[in-house]
Amino acid sequence: MPGSSKSGGVGGLPSSPHTASPSRPLRPSRYVPVSAATAFLVGSTTLFFCFTCPWLSEQFSVAVPIYNGVIFLFVLANFCMATFMDPGIFPRADEDEDKEDDFRAPLYKTVEIRGIQVRMKWCSTCRFYRPPRCSHCSVCDNCVEDFDHHCPWVNNCIGRRNYRYFFLFLLSLTVHIMGVFGFGLLYVLYHTQQLDRVHSAVTMAVMCVAGLFFIPVAGLTGFHMVLVARGRTTNEQVTGKFRGGVNPFTNGCWKNVSHVLCSSQAPRYLGRKRKPHSVVVQPPFLRPQLTDTQLAAKVLDNGIHGDLHRSKSSLEMMESQSCDAEPPPPKPELRYPALSRGHQGQHTEESSLLNKAPPTPTMYKYRPTYSSPGKNHTALTHAYANQSSQQPGFRSEPSLDGREAPGERGGGGLGGGGDRPGGGGAPGSGGGGIPGYSLGGRSYPSFSDPTVLSSGGGGGASHSSSVRSGSAHNATHVSEATTSTSYKSLANQTPPPRNGSLSYDSLLTPSESPDFESAAPDMSPGHHRTPAPPPILGYSSPYLSAQLSQQRDAELHQPSASSVALLSSPHRAHYLQESHPHSHHSQPPPSSAAPNPPLLPAPLLSDSAAPHHYPYRTRSTDTPLAPSTHPPRSPHPPPLGKSLSYSSAAAAEMQYRMVRKASASAGGGGAGGGIHAPKDEIQMKLFSRTNGQPRSSISSSGSTPSSPSHPISMSTRPGQAYPSPGNTQSPAHKPGGGVKKVTGVGGTTYEISV
Amino acid sequence: MFHNLQELRQSPSLATKVFIQRDYSEGTVCRFQIKFPSELGSRIERTLFEDTVKTLNTYYAEAEKVGGQSYMEGCLACATAYFIFLCMETRYEKVLKKISGYIQEQNEKIYAPRGLLLTDPVERGMRVIEVSVFEDRGSSGSSPSSNVSSGISQR
Repeated sequence: MPGSSKSGGVGGLPSSPHTASPSRPLRPSRYVPVSAATAFLVGSTTLFFCFTCPWLSEQFSVAVPIYNGVIFLFVLANFCMATFMDPGIFPRADEDEDKEDDFRAPLYKTVEIRGIQVRMKWCSTCRFYRPPRCSHCSVCDNCVEDFDHHCPWVNNCIGRRNYRYFFLFLLSLTVHIMGVFGFGLLYVLYHTQQLDRVHSAVTMAVMCVAGLFFIPVAGLTGFHMVLVARGRTTNEQVTGKFRGGVNPFTNGCWKNVSHVLCSSQAPRYLGRKRKPHSVVVQPPFLRPQLTDTQLAAKVLDNGIHGDLHRSKSSLEMMESQSCDAEPPPPKPELRYPALSRGHQGQHTEESSLLNKAPPTPTMYKYRPTYSSPGKNHTALTHAYANQSSQQPGFRSEPSLDGREAPGERGGGGLGGGGDRPGGGGAPGSGGGGIPGYSLGGRSYPSFSDPTVLSSGGGGGASHSSSVRSGSAHNATHVSEATTSTSYKSLANQTPPPRNGSLSYDSLLTPSESPDFESAAPDMSPGHHRTPAPPPILGYSSPYLSAQLSQQRDAELHQPSASSVALLSSPHRAHYLQESHPHSHHSQPPPSSAAPNPPLLPAPLLSDSAAPHHYPYRTRSTDTPLAPSTHPPRSPHPPPLGKSLSYSSAAAAEMQYRMVRKASASAGGGGAGGGIHAPKDEIQMKLFSRTNGQPRSSISSSGSTPSSPSHPISMSTRPGQAYPSPGNTQSPAHKPGGGVKKVTGVGGTTYEISV
Repeated sequence: MFHNLQELRQSPSLATKVFIQRDYSEGTVCRFQIKFPSELGSRIERTLFEDTVKTLNTYYAEAEKVGGQSYMEGCLACATAYFIFLCMETRYEKVLKKISGYIQEQNEKIYAPRGLLLTDPVERGMRVIEVSVFEDRGSSGSSPSSNVSSGISQR
């Protein structure tokens, strides 16, 4: 079977039904056209050689049958190569190549080829994003490289490896038919008196067959000659991909022709001899020496690397989604590019996040992280569980910090909270109950931890619903959007997050003590058990802190708002001092992500005590603005969502500021209008990715807050396929046109031509 | 090969796989992205990795070059009704062999000592370069995306 590896040419099985799809039923009907074609070709030519050629060779020259023989041999050789050669079948991707994409990846990924956006579709059968010009043949059930078409006459796909032979087969067959017809005509013309003889009858029959087949074959040959000259495949021509547009795969007529005819035989992917790995990998392993910048980046961005990477992936996902004009596919087909897969040449902006400030406003940095859902999901659930398990003493703060010893938290409600800042010091991990704080070893600034985010996200969703009762909480919205987006496929998010969200909610809206208090009792019993990572802490910005400190007094008197006291400046200073040492290894200071120096202290607040305050912080900030508009809650919610994994505190703050500005400018209705930016992003992603329950969950949770609050001009996503009630938008969007803007990681805005 | 659990536990276990995707910015020619993935940031120097990928890209460009040798190969194949493919190795296959040797050498010299392994892209249909990251017992959990297996390589 498979041809020897030496021969790049004579490949092996006909269209690899055995290797690529082991369990294919035998369908005899597939072999009818190829059998008929073979019969006609061989039969007619044999008759021609037997009945017509002897006389021709005697009459004219022996070169006639030799010429015809050579042409016929050429036809046969190309016919056999086209029939039996592997067209360029891609082997199925390994499980680990797509293990994280299984139910979250977008259906399309976009790449830019010579300035033209080309979509790569996810192949659910083969489990990878189809390279450009690759297509999945339903007859053969394989993805074929440079897929041209499936030819029934050879019962094989025509792809990169055998297109040349197919083309030459057509050419030679045309020549052969012309030769047979011509010489047959010659014979008949010389035997007009003996047409009743067998030889003449046979010759005439052969001529009829030849003449009959000449028209379609010549037509097909001419068609393919044009295709070769233009550098297109049949698939592209028939589907009109480049109709009126530019073909990014063409190199000019001459180069196209030479590529088809003169390029080296492409290698086979299936049935190769696999060299066993003879290299032994044994620890101890060498480690690279980190340069100073790398060290700095590491310190600052502890964990952001992964997040940025994730964000990159999610950015690409967003882009591909934005490019996708089709309605979102059903959930099983949705794919998230693997984190590691996300790299695309054009997304180099992502990496810049590591080392320098993003070029675009940080508000665009908020992107749901589409990291491995499995991992994050469990982490999130766990986070929420921890959160709820937090001691009831801190009603005001969601027990997001699973790490902290319950005793610490329970240190007496709010009062304890005030003192906690330093003490609690959940060493980096998680800052106490502040949602969005990374749990466990990952000390990402607030939003960086995917687990935190996801948990936050989940909670956020439910949060918003509870919070909504009060003032519109942008932050809540954001978080909820984030959450729901992150978990489109995670169905079991609701119960735990709800608790967490409740607590989170209360944290977010300190000003709404009544709401909070009503919610608090619900929370206390259950929530504080779950150590929810407090991602929000990372977002605590000086701005927010300042705002919160204003509210401090009001909050202080509220039992639920006790945590707010923590945010008060005096406490904060103390808190900051104490938490500072922690912040460095627990959460990378947001400065890494955002160059804003004032934000540096923000992560410090993320310490145990700070988390408590965080939700209040947002509230307090909102309160002053309430009269004018619905000030965006704060960047707090976003961190909760998984998507905010890489948002640093600075980013959160920036976003908050922008949101606030936007809402302020919008003048009202801004309930979380500003915050909508991230949320919209999230929603956008969510909708583009899922058409299942997550969307509904988003709509249910997000619609209310979002609908009234779109004062800011968030252009609706051009992708009308996403019927997001919440008006999924990204701030950077430009409606309509042939260009979609998608905000990507680090706030970069990408323009994708539709 | 391993005869007891002790030995099994001593071998490093696969932590994660990093995939280097194709760079399609210049069309469908075989090129891989040179961008350094963040997961490898702590495992290997950027320059080493980028050199490897750049060299691979050069090899592939050489394999796909349409020039005199490939033209002669095509004519010869045509003339012999493609029977020549039974005896002769095509240019692409020759370069693939070179690439395979290069990857083997890189693995032995550079990647295996760092707990990494490159997989020949041709095994994946030339869509990705698969970099297997093995768990280093001293660094569990350092890579954010690594699903560190519980198996610990004890020494």
